[in-house]
Amino acid sequence: MDVTEHDAKVQSIYARWLDVSTRLSFAASLAAFVLYLSGALPAYVALRDLPRYWGLPVGEFLRQTGAPSGWYWFTHMGSGAEYLNLGCMALLGIVTLVCYARIVPTLVALGERLQAVLATAQIAVLLVAASGFFAGG
Amino acid sequence: MEAAAAPWWIWPLALFAVSFAIGIVAVLGGIGGGVLFVPIVGGFFPFHLDFVRGAGLVFALAGTLAAGPTLLRSRMASLRLVMPLALAGSVASFAGAVVGLSMSTEAVQTALGATVIVIAALIALSRDGYAGTAESDALGAALRMKGDYEDPAEGVRIDWRTHRTLAGFGAFGAIGFLGGLFGLGAGFANVPALNLLMAAPLKVAVGSSGLIISVINSSAAWVYIYRGALLPVLAVPSILGVMIGSRIGARLLAMTPATTVRRIVVAAMLLAGTRALLRGLGIWT
Repeated sequence: MDVTEHDAKVQSIYARWLDVSTRLSFAASLAAFVLYLSGALPAYVALRDLPRYWGLPVGEFLRQTGAPSGWYWFTHMGSGAEYLNLGCMALLGIVTLVCYARIVPTLVALGERLQAVLATAQIAVLLVAASGFFAGG
Repeated sequence: MEAAAAPWWIWPLALFAVSFAIGIVAVLGGIGGGVLFVPIVGGFFPFHLDFVRGAGLVFALAGTLAAGPTLLRSRMASLRLVMPLALAGSVASFAGAVVGLSMSTEAVQTALGATVIVIAALIALSRDGYAGTAESDALGAALRMKGDYEDPAEGVRIDWRTHRTLAGFGAFGAIGFLGGLFGLGAGFANVPALNLLMAAPLKVAVGSSGLIISVINSSAAWVYIYRGALLPVLAVPSILGVMIGSRIGARLLAMTPATTVRRIVVAAMLLAGTRALLRGLGIWT
């Protein structure tokens, strides 16, 4: 199998996983947003109160509303509709990581070691970004 | 209308409308929407720039993720070209996002305004893309940065390879940093870097640029999420608006004169960039 055939196979797998995971992320985000707007789930900061805070820098916003940052928002997904919404939008940030993780075994099997190393390094960068270790704040 | 006096739901509706219009214009103008979204929403809406940049990143991320499968299947995007450049860009983008959230709002507004005005000037002055072929350099050959695709418009198969690979890494590092700093996708810079600098064919440059944005913005988006700078009430209407607008823009593409669209894009960017610059300098608050 030559380079072109390798590329076709890897791109096809990446495209399929990208397609499905993006659709799922959009659907989840939209459903969570409807729940948020409808008031079906309580919000941590009520929508009618939000205009008082959304003009503030993020640090001041967090201080005045007492809203969680870092990964603490994750614990509020059941009690704050905006955090359920945030969790669904965060899925968009995971899509690329999932697609890269899926193609690594294929790249190794095809003997594309350098590409496999690059993909693994990209996964590591995304995991570090998601972990918040170097995000400061 | 005073922001505080208006009912809250006016703003998500207005965001949807503006994002819808940006979606149409961005497709027609061949740019990513973020370069219009961040200065326009940051300059004319009541939201703080921290939240606008967070929404801008997700806005660009959503659009490029949605377009990715089609671009990959048509081979207009090359994963082999994207992977090394996106790795350099995503590390820089992460750093840009951290720096951006540590800077004062005025400094970010001023830098954003100046950058958008420069980009508008570059778009206004830009000419047709590079259409030649290049010989690979040593690094490009080692990374096997080459490929082929069928051009349906020309009815031919085009083989391509890139050169100036090290300069390409530097360019994508710089572009990624600015993207993370300002919450932009930076497609306006990716395409010339791939086409004019590295000699990728224009269609491969456009397609691969979208995929690069989807990787780079994933890295910076986590910084904004982690720091609490992503508000769903801004991000979701923006994503919906741009997705619907982009579909309509794609349909209008064939019947709209490119020169008119380019003038509209440049005018909108100059207006929004000037607003951001003057706001940052405290002249028009």
